[in-house]
Amino acid sequence: MADISPPPPEPVDGLRLRPPRHRLDRRFIAWRTLQALCWAVGVLGTLGAVYGYAESTRPWLGPVLLVAGPIYAVNIAVMPTWRFLVHRWEATDDAVYALGGWLTRKWQIVPISRIQSIDTEVGLIQRWLGLATVTVTTASSDGKITIEGLDVRVAEATVDRLREVAAATEGDAT
Amino acid sequence: MSAPFPAGEQPWRRLSIRVVYLDLIRVAISLATGYLGIALGDDPVWPLIAGSCAGLFGALVDLKRWRTTRYRITPQRVEMRSGWLARKHRIVARDRIRSVDSSARVLPRLLGLRTVQVGSGESESSFKLDGLDRRHAVRLQQELMPGQAPASEAPEPVAGDPETVIARLRRDWVPLNVLTVWSVFAAASPLFGLHWLLRPVGVDLFGLGRGLLGWESRGPAWNVILVLLIAYPIGIGVTTVTFLIGYWNFELVRKGTPPDTALVTRRGLLTTQTVQRTDERLRGIAFEEPLVWRWLRLTETKVIATGLRQIGESATSGVLPRIRLGEARDLAAKILPDGSRPLETALHRHPRGALVRRLGWAVYWPALASGALLLFGLAGALPDWVWPLPLTLVPLTVPAAVVAYRSLGHGLAGAYLVVRRGVLRRRTVALQRRAVIGWTFEQSIFQRRGGRMTVGVATAAGGRYYTAPDMSVEQALAFASGATPELARRFIDPEGRPEQAQP
Repeated sequence: MADISPPPPEPVDGLRLRPPRHRLDRRFIAWRTLQALCWAVGVLGTLGAVYGYAESTRPWLGPVLLVAGPIYAVNIAVMPTWRFLVHRWEATDDAVYALGGWLTRKWQIVPISRIQSIDTEVGLIQRWLGLATVTVTTASSDGKITIEGLDVRVAEATVDRLREVAAATEGDAT
Repeated sequence: MSAPFPAGEQPWRRLSIRVVYLDLIRVAISLATGYLGIALGDDPVWPLIAGSCAGLFGALVDLKRWRTTRYRITPQRVEMRSGWLARKHRIVARDRIRSVDSSARVLPRLLGLRTVQVGSGESESSFKLDGLDRRHAVRLQQELMPGQAPASEAPEPVAGDPETVIARLRRDWVPLNVLTVWSVFAAASPLFGLHWLLRPVGVDLFGLGRGLLGWESRGPAWNVILVLLIAYPIGIGVTTVTFLIGYWNFELVRKGTPPDTALVTRRGLLTTQTVQRTDERLRGIAFEEPLVWRWLRLTETKVIATGLRQIGESATSGVLPRIRLGEARDLAAKILPDGSRPLETALHRHPRGALVRRLGWAVYWPALASGALLLFGLAGALPDWVWPLPLTLVPLTVPAAVVAYRSLGHGLAGAYLVVRRGVLRRRTVALQRRAVIGWTFEQSIFQRRGGRMTVGVATAAGGRYYTAPDMSVEQALAFASGATPELARRFIDPEGRPEQAQP
């Protein structure tokens, strides 16, 4: 750009993103597989039923099913394990730090002093497997961290500790 | 209201009695239009009658509102009670108040009435006092300034806070805001409005225009040129009038004694807006440069503050009209309380791979769309000629990719971090480092191969989340640790330490 003078030398001093300390619970794989399976049955089943009964929709639904089928197959077979291998998390007295994603990885960090609310959520399949989801919300909606697939006891202990630390810090978290 | 109140407690105030006069005038006008609607022609003119009924009903509802609305300002909070069937009691803490905005439409203005909008950044806790007289509106605005105790019932002298003027409307700003390619559309909407307004009375405006211009005697191309020739001056006239009405007596001042200072904008001829933004909540500043204006070196200036959304509430975040870049830079230094110039720092370019990725997208998305259409074509759902259509966009998307790459940039400047991006609307955002409330790093498969990542800065101010796409990994980590060294130590290691992952 014309309005930019040549940039100053790049600071390269060999920094590295440290992965968070803890893995998720192994039951995470079972949970995500079941979840993906439910979605696949629901979506593909509905589309397939419409494809079977309403002949006029076939030219439209045919290509959709052709593409969606393999995507769901990969989602069920590969995604849960891959995610389990990638996902990590930690919550210290200073910050909550999580790594998620599978094809696209996402590192997120929020300092404890900026946390506005901490939630635990247990879905239907999760309750059956003894898992929980912890959500840490800040004043920025996009800055919220969701850690899925923790053991219920671990999740409860973490949330209790975070609440204590967060309550002790001053300020309005902005 | 006449009931005695305990000492030390603020009395409830009510809206101006002039609201009643205003409503009586509205009733009179509604009755007159209703009469016209019945008496004008042989058949009743239904739109006029409907309008008259709506006006009558509105005036009566408004009278009820005047009877039931009460408000008061205590040292801690602002309260309003209103409602007749459903009573409402709204309380807003005074330190949550971000902007106070006083406006008036034409008829209330003639009666000396104002509408005061008290904004706290959240729609649930903002409220509107419609129908204060001028004196009370001014007093309310003064009272809600930070650090001022509510005034006693006696009117206070207006002078009090020292003010420094940062900018006033200049005559040479007018053409910069008025001359645009889109001026044509500014002419179109009032014309359509007039057309629909005159139709019930039996005047066909478009037919009249066609007759006047001799529409049938020329080819369509000449007609388009003729319409453009007529519409452009009208459009420019309309935008000039709108701009002047909106920005009449525009003033940007810093008000108050440190540390309780605020940035105040006043503007408007018919609707005077006074917006106050306390400096305590100011977190940064941004330049927004739409594509064509960027080439003309013009920019819009916005402030980033907690509780002010940058998108949507443009009235509160926009502090200056569109002006020349050099001028905007000088003014930006005055708008920021610390007088720094973060938006002028030289920014780091993002790696070449970012350009390759954008060029890839420029081809990939049209190709994907074509592929999908081709599948539908093969299945017989779409005709065969449809599928190549998305590919015709490639000559547009490739230059856009280059523009997108060239506008990418990031840097650190003193207490600020600066990120820049955008194709059609380039945003340069300078955010205070203390406003960072979290970091996000994202890396797709291709970015991992190219050693790049997308950095997201979460903040409680302005747009809530600012991204700097496709930095190199070294750039990203240096950026984060330069901006928030304390926090960065929690997740960035100097290289060489063994990985310590526990199950």
